[in-house]
Amino acid sequence: MSSFFIGIVTIAGAFILYQFSKKMYSVKPSPFTMPIFLSTATIVIFLILTGIPYETFMIGGQWIDIFLGPIVVSLAVPLYREIHLIKKYAGAISIGIFAGSLTGVFTGIAGAKLLGFEGWLIQSVAAKSVTAPIAISITDTAGGNVSLAAVFVMIAGVSGAMFGPVILKICRIQHPIAKGLSFGTASHAIGTAKALENSKIEGAISVLSMTISAVIVSFLVPVFLIVM
Amino acid sequence: MKYFIMILQISVLFLFNFIGQFIQGYFSLSIPGSLIGMLLLFSLLILKVLPLTWIQSGVDFLLKDIPFFFIPVTVGVVQYLSFFYGKGSLTILLVVISTFFVIGVSGTLTNFLLKKEVKSYE
Repeated sequence: MSSFFIGIVTIAGAFILYQFSKKMYSVKPSPFTMPIFLSTATIVIFLILTGIPYETFMIGGQWIDIFLGPIVVSLAVPLYREIHLIKKYAGAISIGIFAGSLTGVFTGIAGAKLLGFEGWLIQSVAAKSVTAPIAISITDTAGGNVSLAAVFVMIAGVSGAMFGPVILKICRIQHPIAKGLSFGTASHAIGTAKALENSKIEGAISVLSMTISAVIVSFLVPVFLIVM
Repeated sequence: MKYFIMILQISVLFLFNFIGQFIQGYFSLSIPGSLIGMLLLFSLLILKVLPLTWIQSGVDFLLKDIPFFFIPVTVGVVQYLSFFYGKGSLTILLVVISTFFVIGVSGTLTNFLLKKEVKSYE
């Protein structure tokens, strides 16, 4: 089979699966029917059962991957649309993002030490809350395993998008700015996708939070790895 | 025609991503190129150099289905299944719990500060 054909089939398959997941989610909304989770889990199970290697899947997957950079660029638009709100609540927003970034780095490193993990694994977990390209460069500088770090980033993203709404309810967090901020700080672009689903304000604050927390975390990780 | 304009607008996003990556490489910065591209686009929108209408429909088309584009990267987990069979499975739990803490702490604090702010206006 030519790789062109494999590529087309993979992209079409992933797209149909995604559309189907979206339908499922609208019929029965639950953390486990969330499109990113349902589509990914189905593909992972399919690859395991058929024994198709990830590299073969990525012949098509790489064409989807090239959109990741432009998508980060496109997030400038929701940010721009809600700039007046961000200006109005600048104080609370910056304190919230800083506290969240600090919590992510601290609990990540402290938890890994508590579980008795080796140095390289601690370094790979530390940057998990921020968007993949930044987490990768932070992990690289820190001396961790870059591909494993990308996996942790995805787990932080998907788990936050899946169960974030439950945590927000338990903690009685109702303000849309506080909600969006939590999604962006904890779960980067995947959390932002979830926040955008809820409201435009939530989405915009989430974009802002993932951007600023990425910068903060890149300063915190090297410091905490030395201090702790 | 509608789709042609959309493709053109999405190409603009690719261009900004490319410029961002070029800047990152040229100055060997640790901030990823895509983020530099975003900040660049944001600045041009704020300064009214680039009107929102030029990219609007393409951007909204992409934003509607962001999760789709994260599927291949997330499927990458499949390469590390053996790592997660053993003690590595604890790292999943750790990452998830830490993520919940971030949501709880940042959300509660921001919620509290915003409520206080509203009260002080009254």
